[in-house]
Amino acid sequence: MFKFLLTFLTCLMVLFTVELLNPVQAAVIQPFTAALAWVAASVVLPFDDTVISSGRILRDSVSGFAVSIEAGCNGVEASIVLIAGVIAFPATWRQRAAAILLGFIAIQLLNILRIISLFYLGQWNFDIFEWTHLYLWPVLIMLDVLLVFALYLRWLSRPDPSPKHA
Amino acid sequence: MRDIALRQQILTTLLLLFITFGLWAIAEPLLATPAKWLAHALLTLWLPDAIETTIFEPEALLVVINFADINGIVRQAVPNEDSLALRLNTRLVSYGLPFYAALLWGSRINNPINAFACGLFVLWAAMALGLAAMTAKDLMLVVGEPFLTMAWVPPPAVLAVSYQFSVLLMPTVAPVLVWVLQLRGSPLWKQLENQVAKSQGSA
Repeated sequence: MFKFLLTFLTCLMVLFTVELLNPVQAAVIQPFTAALAWVAASVVLPFDDTVISSGRILRDSVSGFAVSIEAGCNGVEASIVLIAGVIAFPATWRQRAAAILLGFIAIQLLNILRIISLFYLGQWNFDIFEWTHLYLWPVLIMLDVLLVFALYLRWLSRPDPSPKHA
Repeated sequence: MRDIALRQQILTTLLLLFITFGLWAIAEPLLATPAKWLAHALLTLWLPDAIETTIFEPEALLVVINFADINGIVRQAVPNEDSLALRLNTRLVSYGLPFYAALLWGSRINNPINAFACGLFVLWAAMALGLAAMTAKDLMLVVGEPFLTMAWVPPPAVLAVSYQFSVLLMPTVAPVLVWVLQLRGSPLWKQLENQVAKSQGSA
């Protein structure tokens, strides 16, 4: 347990610091965040043709309301927590890579739901938007990380399906 | 059947989140007070030349600093001069409390009241560190060089990372870590222990 916690916290701090470096922000995080805004707009567009995405900004062309996806809203920090947990837990690198990839997708799917929900909440009631944005959604995303990690542990403990050779 | 403890935990936590967030929305000024006391003690010990005092406001900590704004230039305040104050939103660091409460009360652990009391102390300490990091970041941006050249002030990059960590990760990661450490002996812990033993046996 102690070794897990130590490795987890070390990985968390290292990955978080690397994520904040300017070259990493410019080359990876900001283009990724812009892609996230584009995906969110693409999901909404079939139902609401007033939505426009421009860089990291999602805007309603009628009301003029816009949300900008910033650090902390792109799911990267939650993914870093998951990656740190997966790296800290003993497994093969193939298993870890699969868990990180699928976990990242699971986090981002919920994060797109978060962005879309906030986009509409903001147009309806700004106080509720602020409350859910700052306090409620981060908790739900972390709960998603916990669930993904627990499912990963279950997956690791499954019986090996490969045939045994004598 | 084998996942019942995990399913129970997730569903109960989700249900309890509505209750705990509701209570937190009402009682945050009270719930955050111990963290404000700790932050006051920490800030006045760490930065005695920069911090004059703190004032507890509902949902905020007002940090009065030993600096004044004279015609747009921020410099060390002299006696009887109006000092600047930084207003910190304590909810930004305290929303981990309802999350922790929902996680803990959703687990069937032994002595939940004792565990909850201990967990609160740890989270109040984490919140105080978060408030100190928020203050340092604001001092760096508002005061700048006179603050950065003071004793015991780390480099700007460290202050920036500490602030980001305190606001983006600490409020959700600290409750999970405290909860995991208190989970030992619960049905979920036993299930996870079995899974870990199996995974390490098959590795």
